[in-house]
Amino acid sequence: MRSRANEIEKPHADEAPPFGRSWATLYVVVLATLAILVALFYLFTRTFG
Amino acid sequence: MRPLDWTVLFAALAGIVAYGLWKGRRTRDLEDFLVASRRQRWHHVALSIMATQASAITFLSTPGQAFSDGMRFVQIYLGLPIAMVVISITAVPIYHRLKVYTAYEYLEGRFDLKTRTLAALLFLALRGLSTGVSIYAPSLILSVIMGWDIRVVILIIGASVMLYASTGGARAVDNANFLQFLIIMGGMIVAFVTLVRLLPADVSFLEATHVAGNLGRLNAIDFSFDIHNQYNFWSGLVGGCFLSLSYFGTDQSQVQRYLTGESVAQSRLGLLFNGLVKVPMQFFILFIGAAVFAFYQFTQPPVFFNPVETERARTGQHAAQFRAIESDYASAFEAKRAAALNYVGALRTGDTAGADAAAQELKAAEVRADTVRAGAVEIIKEFDAKPSDANYVFLTFVTRYLPAGVVGLVLAAVFLASMSSTASEWSALASTTVIDIQRRLVKRDAGERYYFVSSKLATALWGLFAVSFAQYAGHLGSLIEAVNRLGSLFYGTILGIFLLAFYFKRVGGTAAFAGAVAGELVVLYCFFFTQIAYLWFNVIGALIVIAAALAVNPLTRRQK
Repeated sequence: MRSRANEIEKPHADEAPPFGRSWATLYVVVLATLAILVALFYLFTRTFG
Repeated sequence: MRPLDWTVLFAALAGIVAYGLWKGRRTRDLEDFLVASRRQRWHHVALSIMATQASAITFLSTPGQAFSDGMRFVQIYLGLPIAMVVISITAVPIYHRLKVYTAYEYLEGRFDLKTRTLAALLFLALRGLSTGVSIYAPSLILSVIMGWDIRVVILIIGASVMLYASTGGARAVDNANFLQFLIIMGGMIVAFVTLVRLLPADVSFLEATHVAGNLGRLNAIDFSFDIHNQYNFWSGLVGGCFLSLSYFGTDQSQVQRYLTGESVAQSRLGLLFNGLVKVPMQFFILFIGAAVFAFYQFTQPPVFFNPVETERARTGQHAAQFRAIESDYASAFEAKRAAALNYVGALRTGDTAGADAAAQELKAAEVRADTVRAGAVEIIKEFDAKPSDANYVFLTFVTRYLPAGVVGLVLAAVFLASMSSTASEWSALASTTVIDIQRRLVKRDAGERYYFVSSKLATALWGLFAVSFAQYAGHLGSLIEAVNRLGSLFYGTILGIFLLAFYFKRVGGTAAFAGAVAGELVVLYCFFFTQIAYLWFNVIGALIVIAAALAVNPLTRRQK
C-alpha cells in the first residue's frame, strides 16, 4: 500500500478545467469573490449597523 | 397546518423517497454503492456537498441566531472558500488517483495501519454519536411546532432515509441530496419573498431593514480580534478555514461526496462551487432571520417562542405572574412599535437629528421589552434549566403567518434537510465500517459481493442505531450538548494527521501517531482550562500535531 501511494502521488499532468483558462484562474475567482463578499458585508454593516 | 400544507409536505417526502429508490435501483456492486461508480457530474457533487453540510438545524437555528444575536454568525464561514481551494489542490487529486473508498484508506499507504485505524475509529465514534443527535434535534423542534409525538417525527425521518440509503447507497443518496437541496432553497426563497410582503403597508422593506440594523441585527462583519470570541473576522477566516479543512478534507461524510465525481475536474468544480456559493447562502439564511426580527417590530411576537414551554408556564404554579408578564410585554411591544414607526418616519423625511433621537428611543424600548421578557424566562427556568427559544423563532413565524402551501413547503424543506445530512452520514459510516474495519481488520479477501451486501447491512444498522439513539436522546440531557462539542475537540487532531500526510513526506507513521496524541492532549487542556473560542481548537490541534510529529520524527527514524 505504501509503495502504491508513493507511486500514485508523483506529480503528473493536471487535468484541465472544463471552463476557465486554468485551475489557477478558478482558484483566484473563488478567493476574489470571497474578498468582494467581505467588502460588501463590511459596507452592509456600516450602512445598516 | 391546512390540507394544502399536508399535501405539499407528504408529496415532497414521498417524492424524495421514490426518487432516491428509483435512482438507486441499478446499484449492483460495491463501487456503485459506496461511490456511485465515480460517475457524478460536478453540479451533483456540489449540491450533494451542500445538502450534507446544511442540516435541518442550519435552517432552524441560523434564522433564530440572527433574530437573537444578529448576523455576525456569517463570519464563521469566511474560511470555507479558502479551504475549498486547498482541498481541490491537495486532497482531491490524491484521493482520485488512489481510487480510495474512504479518506482513511490513504493514511495506511502514507503512514501505517494504526494511524488509519485511529482516524477511522475517531470518525465512527464522533459521527456515529452525532448522527443520532442530528435526527433528534430537528425532530424535537418539529414535534413541538406541529404538535406531533417526537417519536413519530424521528421514525418518519429515519424510515424515509433508511429506504433509499440502505438499498441504493451513495448513488441514491447523492441524487436525492441534489433534489432535496433544490427544494430546500426553493422553500427558503418563497418564505423570504412572502415575509417581505407581510411587512406593514406603510413600511418599506428598506426601512424595516434599517430598523433591524439599528437594533444590532445586521452586524455581519467585525474586524476586532478577540481569541475568546468566535464570531469575528479573524476567527472566522483562520479558525473557520481549519474547521472547513477538517470537515471537507477528512470527514468521510463529505469526502465520500466528492469521491463520487467522475474525474478530478468534476470533484474540484463541485468543491469550488461550494466555495463560491456557501457564504452568500448563509448570509441569505441569516438575513431571513433578521427580516423576521424586523417583521416582529411591527407585529407582536410571543413572549417566548417555544409554545410547549409557554403553555406550561401559563398553567404552572406561577401562571398569574406569567400572564401579568405577558400583559406587560404587550404594552412594552406597543411602545417599541411606536418607536420603530417614529424612526421610520424620521428616516423617510431625511431628518438626521430626528432619526438619531428616534433610534435612541427605539433602543430604549427594546431594552424595556427584553427586561420584561427576562421575567418570563425566569419562570420557564423552573422546568427548563437553560431555556432558549431561538430555534423556534423561524418555524413559529412560518406556521402563524405564511399562507397555505408555503407552510407545507417550508416544513418539507426542514424534513428534507434533516434527511439529506442523515443519509450522507449513514452512507459514510457504512463505508468506513466495511472498508476500514471489516475488510481491513476482520475479514480480508472475502470478495466484492460480500462487502457489497455488508455495506447495505451496515447502512441499515447505523440507521437503526441513529434512530434508537434519537428516541432516547431526550433522556440524555447535557450529554447532547457534549456530543455536539465532541467534533470540535477532535477535528483539529484529525486534520493535523492529514496535513502531515499531504505536506510532510519525511514524517513517518509513529511520529504522526505521537503528534496526534500530543495535539489531542493540548486541545483537551484548552477545552477544560481556558476560555479560548472553540473555532481556534482546530487551528491549535492541527499545528500541535504537526510540530510534535516533526520533533519526534528524527528520534523514530534513528530507532529504525
